[in-house]
Amino acid sequence: MKMKKFVNSPENLTRELLEGFASAHRDLVTLKPGNMVVNNRLEKADRVTIVTQGGAGHEPALSGFVGEGMVDVSVVGDIFAAPGPRACVDAIKLADRGKGVLFVVLNHAGDMLAGDLTMKQAAKEGLHVVKVVTQEDVSNAPRENSGNRRGLVGCVPTFKIAGAAAAEGRKLEEVAAVARRFADNMATLAVAVRGATHPSTGMTLADSGLGEDEMEVGVGQHGEGGGGRQPLKSADETAEIMLNVLLADLSIRAGEKVMLILNGAGATTLMELFIIYRRCEQLLKAKNVAIAANYVGELLTVQEQAGFQMFLARMDDELLRYWNAPCNTPYLKKVHPAEAYF
Amino acid sequence: MLLTKESLFSMFRFVALLWQENTARLSEIDSRFGDGDHGVTIGKMADLILSRLNERQNESAKGFIESLGSGCMEIAGGSAGPLYGVLLEGLAGPLSDGDTEITPVTLKAMFSSTRSALFEITKARVGDKTLMDVLIPATEAAENAPDDILSILQAAAEAASRGLRETENQVSKFGRARNYGEKTLGTPDVGAVSTALLFKGFQRGVEEHILQC
Repeated sequence: MKMKKFVNSPENLTRELLEGFASAHRDLVTLKPGNMVVNNRLEKADRVTIVTQGGAGHEPALSGFVGEGMVDVSVVGDIFAAPGPRACVDAIKLADRGKGVLFVVLNHAGDMLAGDLTMKQAAKEGLHVVKVVTQEDVSNAPRENSGNRRGLVGCVPTFKIAGAAAAEGRKLEEVAAVARRFADNMATLAVAVRGATHPSTGMTLADSGLGEDEMEVGVGQHGEGGGGRQPLKSADETAEIMLNVLLADLSIRAGEKVMLILNGAGATTLMELFIIYRRCEQLLKAKNVAIAANYVGELLTVQEQAGFQMFLARMDDELLRYWNAPCNTPYLKKVHPAEAYF
Repeated sequence: MLLTKESLFSMFRFVALLWQENTARLSEIDSRFGDGDHGVTIGKMADLILSRLNERQNESAKGFIESLGSGCMEIAGGSAGPLYGVLLEGLAGPLSDGDTEITPVTLKAMFSSTRSALFEITKARVGDKTLMDVLIPATEAAENAPDDILSILQAAAEAASRGLRETENQVSKFGRARNYGEKTLGTPDVGAVSTALLFKGFQRGVEEHILQC
């Protein structure tokens, strides 16, 4: 099938994109055999280290967050496909600096299978590793059944918070506990207005077939359906529909502090995201809920899909301190405490 | 009749050829409720089998199947890599290093072993619309077949094909397709399609090898 994309051979997409990514960010990361993107300062790390794994095609995630204060090794599979467990075990061994490894896995069938097999092998080999799963898509399962929720953009702030706890010198079990506390208090809802294509096959992903005047609230990372199709609404109306779902899911009350992330899916512009953000802030202000941390932009995308993910998390002082702590990765940098702005 | 190493290689050659012939169809089915790349992954596994068939002529049956298992496990293909990796490693389970020929009883044990191995990594069972809808009936039919290599493989392939057809009447409970619920009725599960091809390839591989002898 014909694709209007700047690619070479479909088999080489992942290798070529990783080569380019690692070259462009050679000051921070190095590409190692087995599709591992490694923090250049890993060898000097005297702390808990962080490993994650997942498919490519979601740039800047996941490897864009490898660096000090976030992820130490990202194991990349292929386009939208998890790596094998052997590669993950190798990454955990490479990452361990004697203080143990936090292994962050997003809840998707392939990622979870690879994650489970990795943990089995790691136990056999006596590796010091704890797994944390991010699963925060409110659209496909109720909170009581969070094991069925998909992992969306919530992995990125989870990397940040776990990375800061690790940088502070906390023990592996404590870093895992902080990451889980944050992960248990986050919620994401995605909306799509146009589907993505698979860059290897040129096929439209997940049979989206959304009409020109339709949007679908509650899609997965790749635009998988199952959400509610409805007539396309304005930015303000869409913001309100989605925000109310997240507030209800987390039972956020007046006086609480939240993190709000608007993550563009790949083809939705910053202009649109800022318009949505502005409306979210108005709505939260009216409910006396404070945005104590935020991000507006592209963190976890899926090719040229149009739409965005709205992420909300309940914050406390410790989580905020970790979110605001310095980090230096290709696609998320924090240079000084940011509390003053909020 | 015993299953010789040559027949075993022929089984896997036919699996690889059937998989290669069907990559476009597999991706098309996967694109309806998945990300449309199952054919790409299965194509990589077929290439792996064909290259191992060339490189590892002198290896034991056990070593050969295990090398396919570990190779597929590391093919980055979403769920398919780990699932086929475990499936193949499970087949090798009952074999010993010295085995040059496989008895019907051992072949049945290989199928039971692969089912147990998969039970450990997935909760999916019959009716959930996954490759288990093919694997479970196929391996059970193999166990209940007469102690004869060809009868075992025929029984497995027929049960596999029935299991595959059943998936068209089921609602997806696992993987990305799960989110589509009732919309998945009428479409077979793509993992079930590739697993049914595996059992068909096993059967045809032995039949063709007998014809050639």
